[in-house]
Amino acid sequence: MPVKKRVGLDRVQELYENRDMRAKELKAEGRTVMGYMCCLAPLEIMSAAGIVPIRILGNVKEPVTRADAHIETIACPYVRSCLDIALKGKYDFIDGLVVPHTCDNTYALYAIWSSGIVPITPKYHHYIDGPHMTFPTSVEYFDVELGRFKESLEEFTGNKITNQKLTNSIRLYNRNRALLRELYGLRKQGPPLLTGTEMTKILVACRVIPVEESNELLGEVIAEIKNRRAIPTPKTRLLVYGGEIDDTALIELIEESGANVVVDDHCLGVRSFWHDVQVDKNLIHSLGARYILNVACPRTYKQRERGYKEAMDNRFGYLMEFAKEYKVKGVILYIIRYCDTFELDAPGVREYFQKAGYPVLHIEDDYSVTTIGQLKTRVQAFLEMID
Amino acid sequence: MVEKSKTTAVHSSETVRKIRFFSRNIHDKANKAKAEGRPVAYCMGGCAYHEILEAMGVTSVYTEHYGGVCAAYRVSEPYLIRAESEGYANNLCGYCRNTIGFDIVRQELGHMPEDAPDGGIPAPDMLLSCSAGCDHRYKWYQATGRYWDIPTFSFDVMQIPPFDTDIKAIKPYVMKYQVEQFQRLIDFLEKLLGKKMDWDRLAYLVKRGNESLWTWYSAYLLRKHHPSPMPSEDHFSAIVPAVFDLASRETLAFYRELYGELQFKVDHNKGVLDQEKYRLLWAGGLPPWHTMAIINYFETFGAVFVMEASDYGPWPFFDVPKGMTNPLEILALRTWCQRVEYWEDAKKGCGHSRVQRILNRIEEYDIDGCMMHLTRSCRYQSLGQIHFNNLIQKYVNIPLMFMESDIVDVRDYNEADTKRRVDAFMETVDSFKRKGGRQATARR
Repeated sequence: MPVKKRVGLDRVQELYENRDMRAKELKAEGRTVMGYMCCLAPLEIMSAAGIVPIRILGNVKEPVTRADAHIETIACPYVRSCLDIALKGKYDFIDGLVVPHTCDNTYALYAIWSSGIVPITPKYHHYIDGPHMTFPTSVEYFDVELGRFKESLEEFTGNKITNQKLTNSIRLYNRNRALLRELYGLRKQGPPLLTGTEMTKILVACRVIPVEESNELLGEVIAEIKNRRAIPTPKTRLLVYGGEIDDTALIELIEESGANVVVDDHCLGVRSFWHDVQVDKNLIHSLGARYILNVACPRTYKQRERGYKEAMDNRFGYLMEFAKEYKVKGVILYIIRYCDTFELDAPGVREYFQKAGYPVLHIEDDYSVTTIGQLKTRVQAFLEMID
Repeated sequence: MVEKSKTTAVHSSETVRKIRFFSRNIHDKANKAKAEGRPVAYCMGGCAYHEILEAMGVTSVYTEHYGGVCAAYRVSEPYLIRAESEGYANNLCGYCRNTIGFDIVRQELGHMPEDAPDGGIPAPDMLLSCSAGCDHRYKWYQATGRYWDIPTFSFDVMQIPPFDTDIKAIKPYVMKYQVEQFQRLIDFLEKLLGKKMDWDRLAYLVKRGNESLWTWYSAYLLRKHHPSPMPSEDHFSAIVPAVFDLASRETLAFYRELYGELQFKVDHNKGVLDQEKYRLLWAGGLPPWHTMAIINYFETFGAVFVMEASDYGPWPFFDVPKGMTNPLEILALRTWCQRVEYWEDAKKGCGHSRVQRILNRIEEYDIDGCMMHLTRSCRYQSLGQIHFNNLIQKYVNIPLMFMESDIVDVRDYNEADTKRRVDAFMETVDSFKRKGGRQATARR
């Protein structure tokens, strides 16, 4: 009897639990699989080259046992976790590693990972130098970097990335983004139609399969959720802001404590997909502009034109809009220790929301389930305060 | 009354002993400028804008420098704690926490803290940062903006490209972007100050800046001599003029004097120690400004840190091509050359330019052992040290120790533990030396 293909949220659960499953299947079918870090990696170019890009995820449940022989314990624990997993051979199936210049941690990781210390060194590795500034010339600089990246992928794969292929790829990703936005829209109502925990699983699932499959999966998920009869009980609506959240542990803890995470801005969340790429004559420039100007990562610097308040509006106004639109009652800042860019922003973001009347819980954590458990009391106290 | 033990280093170079006055003079000039109504900017090292600011009449206050000074005076702790109480994590850059805390305390007091070293630093009129080096450089002044609601500008300055970059391919557009970024800074300053750049003066200052840097570099080549005429504790003071006051005439005078002193010592075979038994390399990490005397501790074993391989310089000569007259292009070229210094050697060698610098210096300076300082609050300088060591050992079998503390935060420093590590390390160095010293390994 043939195995029934899992669909919708059932498929999401399968992919969430077996994150490398689909990539390994595709690899066995002869596809080229590449791992990438962070929100600045231009997935459209990779897909246009026929590559399957999969996001490098850490594992909050797995103790770091090998990475300490290669990277310092003061490194971002997410980065340490990724390296640890790679050293254990769990990323041996990737043909390539793509790291955009995000921060000091990923800069260090790239050199270490690519140096031949993992069981199977990726045949291809590429570092994309992303400017921190957002001047028009910064985008032009990034355009050149993207052009070089495109050429190197063409050379590696032997596949010419034509304008048509790139256009198609951009459209696929824009479709993916639109579907995710639609899904997020289902969380606006009270109570939301899906939980933050479910959303986290969906986000992870969408990052470990090809974009075409991700679009199909999202279509199934949206249909399934729209037809839901059992609506979750209304709880305190929260926004979660922070870095890498690729496991449900934190979100589950928050939701088990009596809240609904209805919107987020983290590395797999809206930061990674909210803005489309414009399809026009200069596609590389459209990509450059989208990744440098629209990905609201603290590693990208927005020039301050006027006073501090205006600067904060300029940097975090989008987050405030999310808070209003999704009618949140409080904000949780989940900051991974040793992530300097987030840690330097955190007091300002906290103050920004508090001045607007939102209670804020600022959590500094180690990207590990062993420490997440200790947060329960703080989250519960925070929710009691809001209620 | 308990006698306060000395935590600053004992310097061996006469020229370097004057650095305390030099450093104080930098802050005096800034306080004077503020009192006279001239513009003062908070600045970051590595932004390569010394000459631009000087030519525009802006007085620089390097907040990292002041962090180091506060640490050396051991007055940082209340500032660090104050910054942390605002929510800034205790693992953020010590310079940054120190100065954010200092700014808050000063604002709360309504006057300069009484124990502020060098009479304090003036309130800035602008914040000027860049992206060179670490993430703090462009993030720190965003945070500082909470306390100083004043004009702020940041711009890109190139990174050290990763080991596998095709530098010939990137050079044209990296240089073009760098020149444009410098010009953008000038545009910002011209608009803010209501005056135009004096290009002739800028060209003159850049030329003098190059001369200062090259004189510094030439002086350090003399440290190859046996016995070495200057140790690392002196180096970390000798960086002050180049890193924090490159555009001044005093800086050139300082390095000329240093060169003269080291040449004299080499000519007369005068070393840091009368009996130099072991030659060490400061192979990475920023210094522990709070306890620089720990470097002297190595000397009790007859060991001298004869050279460094850190990003604080100095950097070698570079040719200014004929016809290159735009000072911004020369500044960009200088920055480029600093970032790719060991590229060609690395391509033929270990593949990693920062490690290649260490390997080259081990040979050139005849090194018996290396030390890296893992500074808890500095990811940029600390991440990779373990990897560097792993790579080094593939090419040369040499003892290497890690010291762990911080640049500023003395709470991360354990004197007894550090000395125990040094003791064990020096035993290893001695043992290696007795067995013939460092050995090239098969991979070389």
